[in-house]
Amino acid sequence: MTTLAPFTNEPVLELRRASERTKLADGLRELRLPLQVPVWIGDEQRFGEEIVSTDPGRPERVVAVAARATPAEADAAVATARAAFGAWAATPVGERAAALLRAAAWMRERRASLAALAVRECAKPWTESDADVCEAIDFLEFYARGALELQDEESAAPAGAQLLQVPGERNALRYVPRGVCAVIAPWNFPLAIPTGMTAAALATGNTVVLKPAEQAPGCGLRVVEALRAGGVPPDAIALLPGEGEAGAALASNPDVATIAFTGSQPVGLELLRTAAQPKDDARQLTRVVAEMGGKNCIIVDSDADLDEAIPAIIDSAFHYAGQKCSAAARVLVHEALHDALVERLAGAVAGLQVGPADEFETDVPPVIEHEAQERVQHYAAIAAETGEIVTGGPEVPADGWYVAPVIATGLPPDSRLLREEIFGPLLTVEPVRDVDEAMERIDALPVALTGGLFSRNPRTVQRVIDRSPVGNLYINRATTGAMVGRQPFGGNRLSGTGTKAGGHDYLLHFVEPRVVTENTVRHGLVV
Amino acid sequence: MGPSASLESDIRRVGTALFEAFPSHRGNPLKALDDRAMDLAAQDAELRAALFRFVDVVPACRSLDDLAAHLTSFLGEIDEQPPSLRAAMRMGDTKAGRAALGAAGAAGVRHMAHRFIVGEDPQAALPVLRRLWRDGIAASVDLLGEATVTAQEADRYAARCAGALETLAGAYAQMDAQPLLERDASGPLPRANLSVKVSALTPLLRPEAPARGQRDAAPRLRALLRQAKELGAHLHIDMESLDSREAVLELVLNLLAEPEFADGPSAGVVLQAYLRDSPQTLDTILASAQQTRRAQPLVVRLVKGAYWDHEVVEARQHGWSVPVFERKADCDANFEALTARLLEARPLLRVAIASHNLRSVAHAIARNELLGGAPGDVEFQVLRGLGDDLGQALAASGLRVRSYCPVGDLVAGMAYLVRRLLENTANESFLADQAQGVPVAQLLAAPEASLS
Ligand SMILES: Cc1cc2nc3c(=O)[nH]c(=O)nc-3n(C[C@H](O)[C@H](O)[C@H](O)COP(=O)(O)OP(=O)(O)OC[C@H]3O[C@@H](n4cnc5c(N)ncnc54)[C@H](O)[C@@H]3O)c2cc1C
Repeated sequence: MTTLAPFTNEPVLELRRASERTKLADGLRELRLPLQVPVWIGDEQRFGEEIVSTDPGRPERVVAVAARATPAEADAAVATARAAFGAWAATPVGERAAALLRAAAWMRERRASLAALAVRECAKPWTESDADVCEAIDFLEFYARGALELQDEESAAPAGAQLLQVPGERNALRYVPRGVCAVIAPWNFPLAIPTGMTAAALATGNTVVLKPAEQAPGCGLRVVEALRAGGVPPDAIALLPGEGEAGAALASNPDVATIAFTGSQPVGLELLRTAAQPKDDARQLTRVVAEMGGKNCIIVDSDADLDEAIPAIIDSAFHYAGQKCSAAARVLVHEALHDALVERLAGAVAGLQVGPADEFETDVPPVIEHEAQERVQHYAAIAAETGEIVTGGPEVPADGWYVAPVIATGLPPDSRLLREEIFGPLLTVEPVRDVDEAMERIDALPVALTGGLFSRNPRTVQRVIDRSPVGNLYINRATTGAMVGRQPFGGNRLSGTGTKAGGHDYLLHFVEPRVVTENTVRHGLVV
Repeated sequence: MGPSASLESDIRRVGTALFEAFPSHRGNPLKALDDRAMDLAAQDAELRAALFRFVDVVPACRSLDDLAAHLTSFLGEIDEQPPSLRAAMRMGDTKAGRAALGAAGAAGVRHMAHRFIVGEDPQAALPVLRRLWRDGIAASVDLLGEATVTAQEADRYAARCAGALETLAGAYAQMDAQPLLERDASGPLPRANLSVKVSALTPLLRPEAPARGQRDAAPRLRALLRQAKELGAHLHIDMESLDSREAVLELVLNLLAEPEFADGPSAGVVLQAYLRDSPQTLDTILASAQQTRRAQPLVVRLVKGAYWDHEVVEARQHGWSVPVFERKADCDANFEALTARLLEARPLLRVAIASHNLRSVAHAIARNELLGGAPGDVEFQVLRGLGDDLGQALAASGLRVRSYCPVGDLVAGMAYLVRRLLENTANESFLADQAQGVPVAQLLAAPEASLS
């Protein structure tokens, strides 16, 4: 049996030290762009120029040039992965885990360069790009260990697999991989999330076709390189740069056993719908592991410490320009503190620096693409029309997909801005009579991903814990920055299928339990 | 006897004499906090947590009822409640009981706060400052405030500092001469003295981008330096957590190197001995002082450091190596090594030893004697409300003492108060040892640093 040191999180760089900042800056200087990203199935590479990812802060700078996978290529990738499934599934879990750990080591050796790529391709600022790389490494390390716990035949059976045994019969429950897993990944955690979903599938013995977001094919390439360098067989992990068409082809391919998806709600729901209607020739039900959006609320009660709440709210709403599914979108504040909070938040936002992701001084980077910029501006216009924008907004560079961070108040209760996920630096603030009223409003939402509470009364804290529907509730801290093994992450209601990335039960979604019962009585004798 | 053996015997002599000079004879500074709550808190971790959480939230409570609700819900989390607490919990059951409980709780906290905080504003602090001066103790005023999260708040804080400098300079000008407090071997010493925090002068301190906070704070700090120079006052820049050290130290050293400040004001920085790399920080300070000869030498206040728990927790949460010493004796030994280096660096620098630890202080006195310094050639600093007895004993022994006096309202004062209370109920605090009656010989024993 393989034993590994207990999991610990990969430490983020201590960027308060100048020497550590220099490492990252060097990584960026040494980055050679653009990357060429092929459709990569087994050992076959087809290069192309149909997809181009650019630096959101300087759209004329090309980061990666990628082929766009056709539906036929999607099917070919699935066929290859399916052919490779038997061998990979039969590879001892210890060897599969070792491959993931080597992939983690590969990434660890390239931390600065990988972070630099995320800075360029997704305009993810340094601290967060560095954390993204760490999280990718964490997923590899964590799921490698998780698979060993779940599937190593020589280790004690996991708790869920322990069965009642009576004389004359031997019962065993094993978790076996499901087959081909299509991973459809987002751009906002361009390394961590594709690595996480892929690693979970591979660790448990599935083969994978990874479709990275069309905004981040370069990061997707690095993920696949890491896994292959670590020793995952080429046929077991395909790279399928592409757009919606490729995703749809994967979703409707009956040989796809599992779809692991993180992204927008419309796409996620469509995947669930497709999967729920098996084709006539289907031989397996497709399982969908989906992480979708939220409308994340932070409650500020009257006894909150605004000195702590304000920086945490600013972080939650505006870091990475609000482009995290965990980002705060609404603040529901006790009416007694409303005016003070709004005034101080507005002042804090006025001091935020909007700028390129590669500058350590930047607070708010550009959003991912032109369409996103227009979307956020559109919502800001609605806010101005139907409510009040209280932030003058810091200055915004002219080129690049920048938007000023905005705080809006005084919106009508039925405003779209209080319901729809904006996925940008726009935060609404509304007064509430008390925490119970806040909880009612939150309960009325169809989504339930993250939530926050600032209160210093243990009874209030308990009340909110008891009533909160969200997948991840944060008390007296920011609502973003979930860590593998510490804050298993994922939403409820329409925010997701209730799975928890980076948690102990996540791998169960990538396996199916099989029970074997053997009669051990032979001629009245227990053998 | 070798030099270290003789130094040790000097430290024992000096320390014992100082101990004898403590006004309240047993030398127990915590007894002055007559609250039984504090005694209890020092013994019981849960109770301590409840008490601090209550103190912390008092200013945010909207009514006596709200106060009582918080108090009882903190106390409710304690597993084994002493009878007095059970009685308090029962009071929480009725409206009248809650009003009484809330009033008592708030009064208790206000009472505690007044030990540490000398007034709501500098004007209100003057009677205390005058009394201290008359008793031969100088002061440094610290303006407590809420966290600075906006530019307006930074401006308001800077304006409060400017007002404080005016008030202090005016008031101190009226006071009688105190020769020991007004001159050392390097020349005259300002009477008015203000301590400021850079985090209050800018909302933009970012650990990963120190230049940003520096740029933003520079104009406000520069204006204060100019004003201090005009008024002949001293401006001291406190040190905060490691996240801002680079920003703060560089900012201050760079500003002081600007030509307009070559002939004033008197200014100072803080060196934190709990940081493992503090010897290198002292190198930086010394190099800067070499390069920038100023009319009034830079004052270096040597402290252990007030953010120990924060630094340890932050490092552990991130998986970083802990930047502070983790053995108290290592921190104390480093404090002594830095004391020696600082004293030897005079007259390039002026030295202020800020500690309530009898051993650390006695060591500095003995070391100063060994180096042939006059008693007034090193300053001792204590915190108002914690180091009062030590301060008086030092003054009575003919040493130069300054008391650090926080000024501000209850809301602003709570964070400070909680930090001080934590510090003094911590297991590894000199004051706690002293309060528990550890014999003086033991209190004066040399810190044994681990081999490294
Ligand atoms: C006038 C004055 C000004 C001050 N200004 C500042 C300032 O600007 N910035 C600042 O940070 N602090 C400042 N301090 C606070 C100071 O840093 C200490 O927190 C405080 O004085 C307690 O130290 P001590 O020597 O009096 O007591 P002691 O009881 O001898 O020491 C307690 C200190 O030891 C350290 N410590 C505790 N446990 C451990 C451990 N396990 N391992 C290693 N070290 C440990 C901690 O620093 C703790 O505060 C100031 C203090 C005074 C008196």
